[in-house]
Amino acid sequence: MKTEHCRNRRESLGAYALGHLSAEERAGLEAHLEGCPGCRAEVDSLAGVALLLAHGNPANFGPAPKPSPELGKRIEATIGAERRSNRRRVRRRRFALALSGATAVAAVVLTVVVLSGDGEGVPQQRVEFAALPAGVDMAATLEPHAYGTEIHMYVSGMRSGTLCRVFLRGANGATVPAGTFRYRWGDDSRAVLSSALDLSRTEAIGVRAGGRTFFAPVDRGAAATDNRTEEDPT
Amino acid sequence: MQSGALTGERDVREAYAAHSGELYGFAMRSLGDSGLAEEAVQETFLRAWRAGDRFDPQIGSLRTWLFAILRNVVIDLGRARAARPRVAEGGIEPSVEPLEEALLAWQVEEAMRRIGEDHRRVLVETHYRGRPYAEVAEELGVPEGTVKSRVYYGLRALRVVLEEMGYED
Repeated sequence: MKTEHCRNRRESLGAYALGHLSAEERAGLEAHLEGCPGCRAEVDSLAGVALLLAHGNPANFGPAPKPSPELGKRIEATIGAERRSNRRRVRRRRFALALSGATAVAAVVLTVVVLSGDGEGVPQQRVEFAALPAGVDMAATLEPHAYGTEIHMYVSGMRSGTLCRVFLRGANGATVPAGTFRYRWGDDSRAVLSSALDLSRTEAIGVRAGGRTFFAPVDRGAAATDNRTEEDPT
Repeated sequence: MQSGALTGERDVREAYAAHSGELYGFAMRSLGDSGLAEEAVQETFLRAWRAGDRFDPQIGSLRTWLFAILRNVVIDLGRARAARPRVAEGGIEPSVEPLEEALLAWQVEEAMRRIGEDHRRVLVETHYRGRPYAEVAEELGVPEGTVKSRVYYGLRALRVVLEEMGYED
């Protein structure tokens, strides 16, 4: 009996909270509220929302305006472009390049050191990559073998974890991979790699690292001294 | 990088799908110009992406964070616009109310859009237009008690929707 009575009252609570009831209705309801904690709590929970209504403008209750369908794509494109330019900037900063790529290759200084053989009686040669980013050192020793060329890479000063891809470029311009290694900071690593290209046919050694490629020319004459049996392809 | 951070392009796409409508609605309401509103939304997602690793879902929802960014963007755009007045398009008046008020108003209006048509209708007629319940009941062809109960349930629905949108008493 009491709950039925309460439910009827309760449905007036919205009108009450919004101040829509006549003085008479209001007095009747307030008498009920006095003795009904449940309805009082309900009024309290609606009071805040009832006050908020004044902030809305019914002229704006219609369907929400929508952005043009291309907006999402435009945002993605903008973010994509910024991401790419960030990557380039980070790369540039990381290597602190003083020279542009073209100049870097042109400015490579070659140091050929004919070392004594390592037991096989064949000459090795050491090449150095000049025009490297500040703080980076990179050199290689190339050693002819029957299977091709053994390469000892010496690297320091790169960002730790940088992947280096090494290849030899033949006199005919073709490149033959020599493998990859990862430079680890503090390791000042030497990596031993090999390529199937014969040293006597090798014109240059290339290292691709951090989005840049560095070359050091190889003196074929030095390597070819003991490889005269090999027919010169030129 | 914590999970939930807005750092990948896919995160941005998902966030855009979930929140761009609301953000645009608010930007449109406060700037009154569809071009400026789109600019504001674009700038909001761009700033969110740039600061994406600073977003911490433990602290607040993505939606709240995006609205906070948009709020700043709207202030910046408003300043820029003050220097070069533009004509509003589509007959929508540029809002001149302070931003906090605009955000509150937009939330109430958005909540109104989300409740049922029956509930919205009686709230508009009785509250905003101040019409007597009997008159509204007759127009709708329902008993007066029904109008009263719809006002009650409409108000409750509004409360639930506003709470979903982050409103607290």
